[in-house]
Amino acid sequence: MVDLNATLIAQIINFIILVVILTWVAYKPLMKALADRQARIADSLETAEREKTAAEELKKEYQEQLAQARTQAQAIVEKATKLAEQTKDEILQEARAEHARLLKEAQQEISRERERALTQLRAEVVSLSIAAAGKVIGHNIDDSVNAALVTDFINKLDEQKLVI
Amino acid sequence: MEQGAHEIGVHKLAHFAGLTFNIDTLYMTWISMAIVIAIAFIATRGLKLVPGGWQNFLELIFTALLDQIDSSMGSKGRRLAPLIITLFMFLLVANWLGLIPGFTSPTSDLNTTLGLALVVIVLVHILSIINKGPKAYIKHYFQPFVPFVIINLIEELAKPITLAFRLMGNIFAGEVLIIILGILVPMWIPIPNIVWLAFSVFVGVVQAFIFTMLSMSYLANSINDNH
Repeated sequence: MVDLNATLIAQIINFIILVVILTWVAYKPLMKALADRQARIADSLETAEREKTAAEELKKEYQEQLAQARTQAQAIVEKATKLAEQTKDEILQEARAEHARLLKEAQQEISRERERALTQLRAEVVSLSIAAAGKVIGHNIDDSVNAALVTDFINKLDEQKLVI
Repeated sequence: MEQGAHEIGVHKLAHFAGLTFNIDTLYMTWISMAIVIAIAFIATRGLKLVPGGWQNFLELIFTALLDQIDSSMGSKGRRLAPLIITLFMFLLVANWLGLIPGFTSPTSDLNTTLGLALVVIVLVHILSIINKGPKAYIKHYFQPFVPFVIINLIEELAKPITLAFRLMGNIFAGEVLIIILGILVPMWIPIPNIVWLAFSVFVGVVQAFIFTMLSMSYLANSINDNH
């Protein structure tokens, strides 16, 4: 049962052979595969990390651009509003000016018309007065003296109380 | 060799060049070696980045043992990794081989276990001398006091003997009980046999593991300077 013999030596040799064969067949290729995998995984992780950083940068950039676009849009709207306001003011001012001008023209027209009417009226009154005086006196005195008399009379009237 | 009828622990002898060999043990050893090499060969053909099947299985054993080696033996341990991995795989297959009817474990023969233990212990001493220098190596037998040389020598002698006998005893006992259960318990009551076989599978792993771990710690002491 516990008899030792040359089997001992044979087993030592067997084992050493097995170590050599297994090192050659399994250990070295498997170690290489493990190292390869480790390198691959490390590489993948690194790539992933890099891509993540890039994506984050891109995202930041986009957000910045978006914010910028928003600000720009805001500015454009403000500018447009301001412009509209300004235009409105201008139009109003123009309208007022136009209105004032029209009013003034109308007033001028009215006063001109009144003047003309007044002058006509005066002339009418003069000739009527002469005619009336002529009828009253019975004969015509000198036309020019007549006209001067009546005009003087009317002018005096004018100054004192004639108001039309 | 008929299962259950042969004399327990008696080997077939072969004589060659004036030496005596237990030829049945040698056959079983060669079968175990062939199985280990076959597994290693199958597992490492067409190594893939994403492992599957046998490659996965072998990588599991390799990485588990490499972790142990790294943690217990340090950076120098990697050079001994092939030896330790081979030791574990061979012992595992050898321990389980005896559970197949008609086969015996090569590790139930003291020649095998003592041979393996001697390989480890001789390597331990050689590595000690290389790493610490011959002077320090001899000096450490007389630590901490000179009379301790007796205890130290016994300790060194005990290492291979305990390694060899522990493994051989466990596996041999397992096989003996399988045979005895076969004789004692009628075939139509298979439960005790099944239970014992299952336990023997467990014992096979545990003993292979213990032998490997102890070898690892002995080797770790010899390659690390802090001892």
